[in-house]
Amino acid sequence: MRLLLVPALAVIAVFALALGALFQYSLLAFVPGSLRTGGVTLENFRGVASPQYLGYVWDTVVLSAATTVLTLLASYPVAYALARTSSRAARSWLLILTLAPFFTGAIVRTYAWLLVLGNTVVTWPVPMLFTERGVLVGLVHFSMPTMILLLAAALSHVDPAYERAAASLGATPARVFWRVTLPLSMPGIVSGSLIVFAWTLSAFPTPELLGGGKVKMIANAVKDLALDSFNWPGAAAFAMLALGLTLALLAGVGRLSAGWHAE
Amino acid sequence: MSARLAVALLLGFMTLPTAVVVAVSFNPTAIMSFPPDGLSLRWYANALTYPQFQRASVNSLIVTAGATLVALPIGTAAALALERGRLRARNVWATLLLSPLVVPGVAAGLGFLILAASLGLLRSRAVLIAAHVALVLPFVVRSVWVSVANLDPMLDRAAASLGATPWRTFRRVTLPLLRPGLSAGLLFAVIVSANEFVVSLFVSNRVTEILPVAMFTYVVNYTDPTIAALSSLFIGATFLLVWLADRLFGLAAVFLPDR
Amino acid sequence: MGKAVVELYGCTRDFGAVRAVDGLDLTVQEGEFLSLLGPSGCGKTTTLNLIAGFAAPSAGRIMVDGLDVTDRPAHERGLGVVFQSYALFPHMSVFENVAFGLRERRVAEGETRRRVEEALALVRLEGRGSQRPRQLSGGMQQRVALARALVYQPRVLLLDEPLAALDKKLREEMRGELREIQRSVGITTIFVTHDQAEALSLSDRIGVMSRGRIEQLAPPREVYTRPATRFVADFIGASTVLEGRATALDRVELAPGVSVRVEVGTALPVGERVELAIRPERIAVQAAGGAGGEADDVAGRVARLIYLGAQTEVTVEIAGGQRVLALVGEPSPLTLATGAAVRLTLPPDAFMVLR
Repeated sequence: MRLLLVPALAVIAVFALALGALFQYSLLAFVPGSLRTGGVTLENFRGVASPQYLGYVWDTVVLSAATTVLTLLASYPVAYALARTSSRAARSWLLILTLAPFFTGAIVRTYAWLLVLGNTVVTWPVPMLFTERGVLVGLVHFSMPTMILLLAAALSHVDPAYERAAASLGATPARVFWRVTLPLSMPGIVSGSLIVFAWTLSAFPTPELLGGGKVKMIANAVKDLALDSFNWPGAAAFAMLALGLTLALLAGVGRLSAGWHAE
Repeated sequence: MSARLAVALLLGFMTLPTAVVVAVSFNPTAIMSFPPDGLSLRWYANALTYPQFQRASVNSLIVTAGATLVALPIGTAAALALERGRLRARNVWATLLLSPLVVPGVAAGLGFLILAASLGLLRSRAVLIAAHVALVLPFVVRSVWVSVANLDPMLDRAAASLGATPWRTFRRVTLPLLRPGLSAGLLFAVIVSANEFVVSLFVSNRVTEILPVAMFTYVVNYTDPTIAALSSLFIGATFLLVWLADRLFGLAAVFLPDR
Repeated sequence: MGKAVVELYGCTRDFGAVRAVDGLDLTVQEGEFLSLLGPSGCGKTTTLNLIAGFAAPSAGRIMVDGLDVTDRPAHERGLGVVFQSYALFPHMSVFENVAFGLRERRVAEGETRRRVEEALALVRLEGRGSQRPRQLSGGMQQRVALARALVYQPRVLLLDEPLAALDKKLREEMRGELREIQRSVGITTIFVTHDQAEALSLSDRIGVMSRGRIEQLAPPREVYTRPATRFVADFIGASTVLEGRATALDRVELAPGVSVRVEVGTALPVGERVELAIRPERIAVQAAGGAGGEADDVAGRVARLIYLGAQTEVTVEIAGGQRVLALVGEPSPLTLATGAAVRLTLPPDAFMVLR
């Protein structure tokens, strides 16, 4: 029975090989003008540490943090409705509306924002397209389904009986939320935020299309290096950085949720 | 209630872009205006006859069908092993199988590109399909695992006591009862693979590229509403599939397992 | 009796450091209804699993009809099993469930239909073939499970606490039905249960198990009136176990000045420690100092009274501190209260000498 795991592990092994190839190239020298590589070197990582690339990292972190906060604020009400509604039809519709954008694919969603931000619907008082503002809107829209689902799952673990108890003790709905619901859903909030933050760090289509070359996040820089400059080693090094950041963040999530579940 | 208004507004925010895309797709002229000046299907015609889109659609079909066909049995086997294999470090194995979900797309994409180049497979679809299998596998495993976990282990013993060999038991008892999980897994595999963009961007060229990549190239170069038309078709198909999934197995069961 | 259908020789089954079945020997005769009775953890279900082939013994052999089946997988043993949770296939109709074993044996469609209908009639579920298990009550599901196991006429029927999930009244009804069906079909049956009333009422023989071993294998009456060990005496029916020293071939001293006569057909080991068990319903309770009574009556004080409706359980403490459990039918001519002095008559032939 255990042997049934082997084919899946083989698939993961292939995936690991790809990441291994990435790692390998990050340590090889770039030979400009060709795809051949030189010897082992740390030059790529030194390049990553340059002001330009560190600037990309910083911009990415700031943008991701802003995205996470806004996504959280926008998603919580929808997640609450999803977790607490007793009507099966309402729950179905909420889920469908939440999930459908999820599954229409990155290009379609980003293109849609290209239209909206590009003064097609309304003329914006400030330019939205090809600015950080625009990318932020796109990223929030992109992250909301994920955040909603994660928050809803966490909220559905909070027994409504606690809220009823607080109300029976005289707390207004606002106080119930502040003192009971919010603290009890905190683990979900934190892990949801970390997950969205980690994923946003590696966002690609949204900044690529909505940024128009003016807004560059880590993923865009990797693509430029790899597919435009053919500097595979450099791109690999920068991609390794993104990978490392993501894994570190998600490991943190894992540690946190394990700690919470232990209580 | 103001809360309900807030939720409605937020849902509106989430669906607004979709509405705009669909509206613009019917625009008679190449200028994208909203609301549209009239109703025309010319962009739909353009989208459906554009050679690169046609080629990319065929590629998408091949890649998605191939990846799904490979990922379904592998994922099912893995789900059975995880639930019934009495593995000591079960959670470790599960995390391992779900790991492709957490790797940044550009990292996986570049990695597969380098791998393909090293193996001399740059022009083949094999690497692309392999990448899709890895990306789709976590969804299949998760979906099927839910079904396996709900399976009564005594049923296997009952079938054995009645004379069914392990293979017959699997075919006549286990597999039929896994249908909900398998269907959900199939659905997610198709949707995820059909929409996969970042990794595919790195691993394919103009000959092998799948539809989302072709669309991306078009958007970067042209500004007419053809993409709006194609996107609308995409959105329509996806909405249909997701609605179907909810009708058939109740999405809540898969995404909110405690309710 | 008849020939041996199932034989276990020295079967042992370990789960890591836990020995669930310990060197078990068992022979089941043709057509008999044998119960494996014991508390949870005694190894009775594990023994059943060994016979069915769901678990392999760590040591020992298992024979069915004289053939060694120890290494044969479950699906080749041709036995019928009824599970505690019934394990009916939820995605198949009642008919399909019962037909399953026949289909695996490639029985022709017409013949299958006939035999399934016969089996459903046997368990009084005619006409329910097209229903799904979830549409049936617990009792009905259990009967479907029985029909499914019997339809292909297996050599042996194995039942793993099949009545445990039913409520009391239904359980007693099903007991009777089960026995009737077994008798009419004449199939060799092994029945696992922790309910001694069930075992006593259904079985031709009972195997009382504890810690992986069979303590006693005998017909119900013998197990009840002549328990072989303290465990069996404790587990089957209520009883008091008294400790004393044999002072003569037929006399046991329970405490200084307190002795009883024991006449059970075996001589007591004089001078040695002896354990005696006696059933509460055999003991007569009278007020102290009343008329009548035997020379060997034992005096004591009422320590506890439990009113049960038709009877009252009286716990009496005798000299030396040992406690005796007795039953007094209600309404009782005695007015008993805690602390009252009473006199107990213990018939010499009511004692059970324990090893």
